[in-house]
Amino acid sequence: MAMATDMTMSTNEPTITEPKEQPWLRALLRRSFGRSFWGFVLFAIVSAAACYVIIGGQAFNEAVENDISMVLKTIPRIIAAMLVAGMIWVMLPRDRLTKMIGSESGMKGLVIAALAGIVTPGGPSAAFSLLAVLGGAGADRGAMVAYITSWSMLGFQRIIVWDVPMMGAEFSLTRFLVSLPLPIIAGMIARALPMRMVLADPIPIKGDKP
Amino acid sequence: MSAGIVILYGMAGTLMALALARRDGTFQKGLRRALEQFLILAPRMFCALIAAGFIAKLIPSEFIARYLGSEAGMTAVLIASATGIAVPAGPAIAFSIGAVFAHAGASVPALIAFITSWSIFAAHRIFIYEIPLLGLSFLRLRLVSVGATPILAGLIGIMVGWFFTLPLGAVP
Repeated sequence: MAMATDMTMSTNEPTITEPKEQPWLRALLRRSFGRSFWGFVLFAIVSAAACYVIIGGQAFNEAVENDISMVLKTIPRIIAAMLVAGMIWVMLPRDRLTKMIGSESGMKGLVIAALAGIVTPGGPSAAFSLLAVLGGAGADRGAMVAYITSWSMLGFQRIIVWDVPMMGAEFSLTRFLVSLPLPIIAGMIARALPMRMVLADPIPIKGDKP
Repeated sequence: MSAGIVILYGMAGTLMALALARRDGTFQKGLRRALEQFLILAPRMFCALIAAGFIAKLIPSEFIARYLGSEAGMTAVLIASATGIAVPAGPAIAFSIGAVFAHAGASVPALIAFITSWSIFAAHRIFIYEIPLLGLSFLRLRLVSVGATPILAGLIGIMVGWFFTLPLGAVP
């Protein structure tokens, strides 16, 4: 992702913060409010306008109410998930993991990754931060795709909390069994595809690269 | 709902205690990493959540449900897969749309395709988490790898239905 030196931040208090902290924080802020952020802002505005124009003011107000409660609900989750991911990132035994689900891990690596996806608890905040950690630790692309596909389709927590109560246990079990091989197939496809894949890494910690 | 967040904070607390116990700056490094990720993620997440709420309102779920009956076979699976992509919201909204479909007489393979498609393409997750945390090239690789998965799931569902009676997806 290219979001280098766009968006000049209004940093009018450069002398107050410690000289050592300043570049790190400023680079970070520049990145968090970089070009892609404004893309997101535009996306939100366009969808809000479409909602207002197509279905009218009342539904628009309902959507705004939903949005506010959703944001309030999500923020504490994100904080916890980032703490989990950050701590795992610094403590994970990289070389052992790479052996388990690295590019040399073969079919076994895909199966391990798919099983890990099923048992990973929590929502997308936890799963995607873990995925980023796995990728940074040298997991191979097939294992990464198998992991996140399996978490999305077969994640046990979502099945128990949502699928079973809303769709019925029999349907959930059918769907689970029907879908069981698919994350591994997706992982095999990802391994075979001749596509370049470079992971985004938000400002790596010095000397902490795998 | 709240069970999930309790588990998440339990994990966070345990890991932070483990990192602190090492007494070698691991905890500080982890905290710094968490702060970095949070600052990248939070502004994007905020916008994406807002957008998702509006788009969820725009999906005509009752209208779509009419095309998902079992006599529609593979067509129903295709429509259901396409609909799943268009639901950019969390499980509460996705599964209630699924329940609407089920009550309107959608076939089991179509429902399987819908839920599979939503679960792997859910646009809100892509915008809130996947692009900021992993980047566009991973997203591209993943989308190509799983592109056919919902249709495949529906197809397997149809084939299983030739041998077994599939349970209904409807709940009282």
